Amino acid sequence: MTYFLDLFLLSLVVGLVGVASNPAPYFAALGLAVAGGVGCGVLVGHGGSLVGLMLFLIYLGGMLVVFAYSAALAAEPFPETWGAGSVKVYVLMYLFGVGVAVWWFWGGHGGYWVIDEFKEFFMVRGDIGGISLMYSVGGGMLVVCAWVLLLCLFVILELTRGLSRGALRAV
Amino acid sequence: MTPVYFSFTSAFTLGLTGLAFHRTHLLSALLCLEGMMLSLFIALALWMLQLESTAFSAAPILLLAFSACEAGAGLALLVATARTHGTDRLQSLNLLQC
Repeated sequence: MTYFLDLFLLSLVVGLVGVASNPAPYFAALGLAVAGGVGCGVLVGHGGSLVGLMLFLIYLGGMLVVFAYSAALAAEPFPETWGAGSVKVYVLMYLFGVGVAVWWFWGGHGGYWVIDEFKEFFMVRGDIGGISLMYSVGGGMLVVCAWVLLLCLFVILELTRGLSRGALRAV
Repeated sequence: MTPVYFSFTSAFTLGLTGLAFHRTHLLSALLCLEGMMLSLFIALALWMLQLESTAFSAAPILLLAFSACEAGAGLALLVATARTHGTDRLQSLNLLQC
């Protein structure tokens, strides 16, 4: 499991390299989906089953699907993959930067490796118990979050209303 | 610096550099922002899990809620840009007319 965690962490960084290296938005969304999936694996491997599930369901299932649909707005006739032209240069440059950072932090000595992740068995899972805390003593923040989401709904409605009425006007 | 810290730190830094430099599409910039929020979520959740501080467990969820707001507003701006300019290329946003 420790090696799986290392593989997941490596895939997280490589997925973000795939997002940051300026490919066509389809492929950037694919890289972000990969990063989200392996991020879920990282969280589950560290014992946070609920946050991992939430990342998988809400982030990958909700938000990234919307992003993948919005890639239709950025359609181009010849989308650039990671192997094409300048994108390949950026990928290699970012991977080189990550390698330099690895050498900077771990070059010469062994670094600090996590031995194992399975320490004890608890009757109450820590992350699920924390969620109950959010509903009891964190109720104020929950109300703030709900208010922000409601406000964001109206912001989106006003932004996409059109040119004649709403927040976006032709001057 | 443990591998976990290094991973989400470098993921955040990669998203930030991707957002700061070379962007052609608005959607690519939004995807880089989402990558930064993803690394922040993973960082907060791993903080909670490694320190075993139960009370901190609500923070990644609240961050995810705010991140959903950010993504929604950004995609609404993307739709509005596609309506006014016909494309979401950031170069066309330099034009001072719709």
